[in-house]
Amino acid sequence: MWTRTSDIDRMFGAMDLLRSRLNRLTTDDNRFYGRSPGWSATDGSPRTNFYDNGNQLELKAEVPGMSKEDLTIQIQGNYLEVSGTRKSDAPEGYKVHRTERETASFTRSFTLPSEVNVDKIDASLQNGILSLTLPKAEAAKPKQVSIA
Amino acid sequence: MSETTNITTKEKTVPERSREIPVIAPVVDIFENDDEMLLYADMPGVAKEDITVNIDNGELLISGVRRLPPSGTATREEFGDVEYRRIFSVHQTIDVEKVNAELKDGVLTLHLPKSEASKPRQIEIH
Repeated sequence: MWTRTSDIDRMFGAMDLLRSRLNRLTTDDNRFYGRSPGWSATDGSPRTNFYDNGNQLELKAEVPGMSKEDLTIQIQGNYLEVSGTRKSDAPEGYKVHRTERETASFTRSFTLPSEVNVDKIDASLQNGILSLTLPKAEAAKPKQVSIA
Repeated sequence: MSETTNITTKEKTVPERSREIPVIAPVVDIFENDDEMLLYADMPGVAKEDITVNIDNGELLISGVRRLPPSGTATREEFGDVEYRRIFSVHQTIDVEKVNAELKDGVLTLHLPKSEASKPRQIEIH
């Protein structure tokens, strides 16, 4: 009964589950350092995701604490440049306990994989995420080829 | 009775195991003056309704879950779904009733006012 491997697997599975539950209970904030969780300018730029939807390209970047006015987006051909400055939130007359959030400016440039329709680019900012939608130029869009 | 009677029924799936998302501690700034403690935490991409702020027994828990809407094929991916979670010890002098939280541009701001009794006070000599 217990000697069957599937039962042993299940037992270990239960133990793993218990361990992960216990880990969550004893969450210790020091455990997480070293993974650089925050926005960081030391390595040059905010973290960015790039997606290809066939007809359009999409860019998402983490820019917490930055408003529309703090960000500049420039495009020339298939060269895209995103730059921004993060201002300090430090209030006057307060004693400082921790400052982990960096204040700096960044510039990050990308070479787009295809030509885009520059006039139809849409940029939005929500909850500290910058989203750019870049529709591909007609010539770069996927086309169906029918067999003659 | 055969040797191989099952004591328990076998389950093919392990219940209650949702897709685990990584948990990371958000970076924070903490300031203090005579009236309050002030905390800023970076939580880009977390919506207001996905944020939990809990103060219990001298412990402040902030948690926010980010779920990115699905997009096309990712050609570059440097961030994903995540739970921002961090626990702080707060002094008993914090007036829990008056704690105020706001979220703007992916930054959570927490005002933790000190109770009247704990504020510094000038004592005059008569």
